[in-house]
Amino acid sequence: MPSRSHDVEQVQVQVLIDAVQAAQTADDLTEAVEDLCACAHPMAIPCLIQVLGFNNPGAAVAAVDGLVAIGSPAVPAILSNVDDYNYGARAWSVRALAGIGDLRGLPLLERALAQDIGPSVRRAAARGMGGLQPHGFTVLQRQELAERILPQLKASCQDEEWIVRYATAVGLEGMKRWWQPSAAQQEQLVEALQPLADPHGEPVPVVWLRARLAITRLRASTPAACP
Amino acid sequence: MSQGTPLNEAQALDWLRQQEDLGQRYYAAWWLGRMRSSHGDTVPLLIQSLSERGSGLAPTSGIDEPNPVARNAARALGKLADPQAIAPLLEALESSDDGLREAAARSLGQLGAPQARGPILRRLASGPGVAGAPRPGTSRLMEPCEAFLEALGALGWEEEDGSTTDHKPLLATLGAYVNHERPLIRSAAYRSLLQLTQEDCWGDQLVALLHHDELQVRRAALLDLGVTGWRPAAPAIAQTLAENSLKLIALRGLVEHSPLRNQASWSPSPEEVELLAAMDNLL
Repeated sequence: MPSRSHDVEQVQVQVLIDAVQAAQTADDLTEAVEDLCACAHPMAIPCLIQVLGFNNPGAAVAAVDGLVAIGSPAVPAILSNVDDYNYGARAWSVRALAGIGDLRGLPLLERALAQDIGPSVRRAAARGMGGLQPHGFTVLQRQELAERILPQLKASCQDEEWIVRYATAVGLEGMKRWWQPSAAQQEQLVEALQPLADPHGEPVPVVWLRARLAITRLRASTPAACP
Repeated sequence: MSQGTPLNEAQALDWLRQQEDLGQRYYAAWWLGRMRSSHGDTVPLLIQSLSERGSGLAPTSGIDEPNPVARNAARALGKLADPQAIAPLLEALESSDDGLREAAARSLGQLGAPQARGPILRRLASGPGVAGAPRPGTSRLMEPCEAFLEALGALGWEEEDGSTTDHKPLLATLGAYVNHERPLIRSAAYRSLLQLTQEDCWGDQLVALLHHDELQVRRAALLDLGVTGWRPAAPAIAQTLAENSLKLIALRGLVEHSPLRNQASWSPSPEEVELLAAMDNLL
């Protein structure tokens, strides 16, 4: 009886949601959120989104993981609940979208990278651009997407915060996975990474090291055959 | 009372030169340090400001610390790496204002001024029961112990003439504070002992503080571990219940400040690749 087991499942998820709402301490909340995430049920989405705004890093990490596990079904709700007044919460929303990689989240990632006042928001957006999942895209569509994203990540190589530049190196490396560039196209990624890898232009050693790691990895793997 | 911060270096210097508006002087001193001003007038003006006493700021200014201009000047001088500042900061270390002593100690640590070691050790010598006792009516201690302990770690072993300082008094003084009742003071003592001795036991103590009940203590331990560059802490840092931003700063410290860091190598070592992977996961 599928409907009956469906009901039972709904009741079980509701119990877990109630436990999140009832949690009294930070640790209890984190545990309750982890339990709720384990079921990866769409019913949990509003509750998990609420947790992003609680200023409880442990619980927020768990809620982001939970939303990423639910994946695409969570995207519309995340997009319609972005908190304009709380950049901590906004960073977690962008992180969840970045982890899911759904293209419906891209306009928000783009706006966040270019304009958000919170460095934690910009860094999540930069990383997210490397984690896009353009399912079903043709070679041409992937190429168009890369042409749209690459200038934005080149611009964020100039961000005043080191962690955003670090995340930009991660994003540029990640672009290879969904772009599947030819050898010549791949050199555009290496070229974009060069300023971050160079101590004359980039003051922060950990950023050089991350950019150099990205360059090494890009060059070590065989690029896709000619598209 | 003016609001806001200076727009550029010329304005900041004008604000610091004038005497009427203390709010402007306060923000100018902060700005010149933050922007690493290299103008020839900056350091002399900041040194002059170190001797300014009294509040004189309107209650509405939002600045409620005593001697705000002198304290900000002391903080700025720590960022400007000019040895001219050492002698006046050593004088500030003897001020009756403990907040000014605190700012001066931090800056002398940043400037790597070994001349500060002796005066700091003397002020800490009475131990946690006296120098480290609560100052009645405030949340502060009799001496700014946290800043003093951290400065000792930053200064290392070297004396002004290049010789090595006597290990015993330095380690004995730091050791006296490892059981202080306040976890932030213990954290500062562990941090400096780890920097000076590279003994793992102090790193283990800092890692234990990453599990402390209070977020403020976990944050301090994260930043202290970052300063030491003690790489065995990486997994515990990644798991700490605190903001990712602070964990990223700590992990950056493990990459950049570790004695294992090979400056000559273009690419990261295998161990550094693992640290970078931990950072990637926190973005």
